[in-house]
Amino acid sequence: MNFYFTYILVALGLFGFAAVFALFGIYAERKVSAFIQDRLGPTETGKYGSLQTIADIIKLIQKELIVPSAADKILFVLAPFIIFVSVYMGFAALPWAPGLVPAKLNIGLFYIFAIVSVEALGILMAGWGSNNKYSLLGAMRSVAQIISYEIPAGFAIISVVMITQTLNLQDIATQQGVLSGESSRFLGFIDVGQAGGILAWNIFRAPHLIVAFAIYFIASLAESNRAPFDIPEAESELVSGFHTEYTGLGFAFVFLAEYSMMFLVSMLGVILFLGAWNTPLPNIGPAHLADYTTGTVWGIIWIVLKSLLLVGVQMWIRWTLPRFRVDQLMNLCWKVLTPLALLCMLISGVWRLWLM
Amino acid sequence: MNINQVLFYVMGFTALASALIVAASKNLVRSVFMFFVTLFALAGLYVFALADFVAVTQIVIYVGGVLVLMLFAFMLSNKETLNSLQNKTGNKFIAINNMAALLAAGLFLVILVNAIIKARPDGIVWIQHAQRVNPPRTDNLGNIGVNLMTNYLLPFEVISIILMMALIGAVHLSRKEEHKL
Repeated sequence: MNFYFTYILVALGLFGFAAVFALFGIYAERKVSAFIQDRLGPTETGKYGSLQTIADIIKLIQKELIVPSAADKILFVLAPFIIFVSVYMGFAALPWAPGLVPAKLNIGLFYIFAIVSVEALGILMAGWGSNNKYSLLGAMRSVAQIISYEIPAGFAIISVVMITQTLNLQDIATQQGVLSGESSRFLGFIDVGQAGGILAWNIFRAPHLIVAFAIYFIASLAESNRAPFDIPEAESELVSGFHTEYTGLGFAFVFLAEYSMMFLVSMLGVILFLGAWNTPLPNIGPAHLADYTTGTVWGIIWIVLKSLLLVGVQMWIRWTLPRFRVDQLMNLCWKVLTPLALLCMLISGVWRLWLM
Repeated sequence: MNINQVLFYVMGFTALASALIVAASKNLVRSVFMFFVTLFALAGLYVFALADFVAVTQIVIYVGGVLVLMLFAFMLSNKETLNSLQNKTGNKFIAINNMAALLAAGLFLVILVNAIIKARPDGIVWIQHAQRVNPPRTDNLGNIGVNLMTNYLLPFEVISIILMMALIGAVHLSRKEEHKL
């Protein structure tokens, strides 16, 4: 029975992590936006305004759950939970350190790709359930965008899978470091199986994956509905898109889902391209830096640091670039990213056959 | 009863109950969302049959693709059309209009019951043979890949050609007409 107790504990731990990350992610977002726009951001609550989001969440929990009288009540109430649960279930397959993964799945990568696509259904549910034209328009835009950008993201992921030859995320992670036990080649020529470190990361094992990583990153911005791809909640046109009608806890769950999604896609990007929980420090001659800095605790530290770095870049981009128009968005997806991703896939095949 | 059996029956019940609601519900959009529950329960049942890849593929294709497409069709269509669709027939279960459907359903029930009574799942020869020769494995993925590229290469290629035709057709239909000079 201890078995099931562990499962529940792990699930609760992941939920706690998502919630804490969302809280401080929102705080960080406010501070970053303030810095970029030359403002101060929250300063009053707590030291440097650090308790601001905690105060906000307490306010949200106390608020009344208002259901519009014309709304489809069941769909309206269920939608935020479906949106959040679909993102939250994705965390189950992500490895955190050597030997530390909540669910060791053979097809972990495919599973995450599948379960995250359920989010689109939750968004449609919210948009339809609200019975409000802004919500519906926002939901349609959001889903059209998510479905379109799944294609370049999928091709970018496939080009990694062709190099790694497995869908098991823990195996993909292990291959990119000193624990792999097999030779992995920097740029396809120099054997760095013993040295490890940054040289054995996927983007350096096969340099065309740098392009694939850029494609994946752009597509992941669109999939988490972040600027410059935030036309679903374009404030100037649609009030705030599919979550216009939500108050209190429902609104909190939509926000929790957005920030969890940011971390999920960043972590997946880190696992696929940036060496997962492997250290960036290589073994240099007698200094076995990579061996010293690989382990359970180190693994968690590295993967969280790298993911937070990517989340930081997402925030930086959000507050730097203006919003895309719908046609520009689709042009970018279908005419630039998809052909490039297909090209990456082709190069991956050739690379695997001739250089590995 | 161990936890696996409990889970199996819970999923089987969910699949059947939600499928019934899908068929019986008056509200079309809600029945589409209920279909989503059916598909998820089915995916769970696939996992019990050691077909985890099929389960995940089912979620990608049906939930991420087909269901969203169905919902798009609903949301882009006129509300009056939808209402007339929903309220067209009266709610009489036994009516002269329904005779054909009732007959077909009844005959199908007879066939099903007959098949279930006559089936002896423990005594089928080829299953026993397969259990001896080829015990259940968990690395489905590699197996599927190798089989697609060897034994089933022709059907695989034919499917890809059909998909390509569908894609070209979709592009052609959605293309803007050029201005004629």
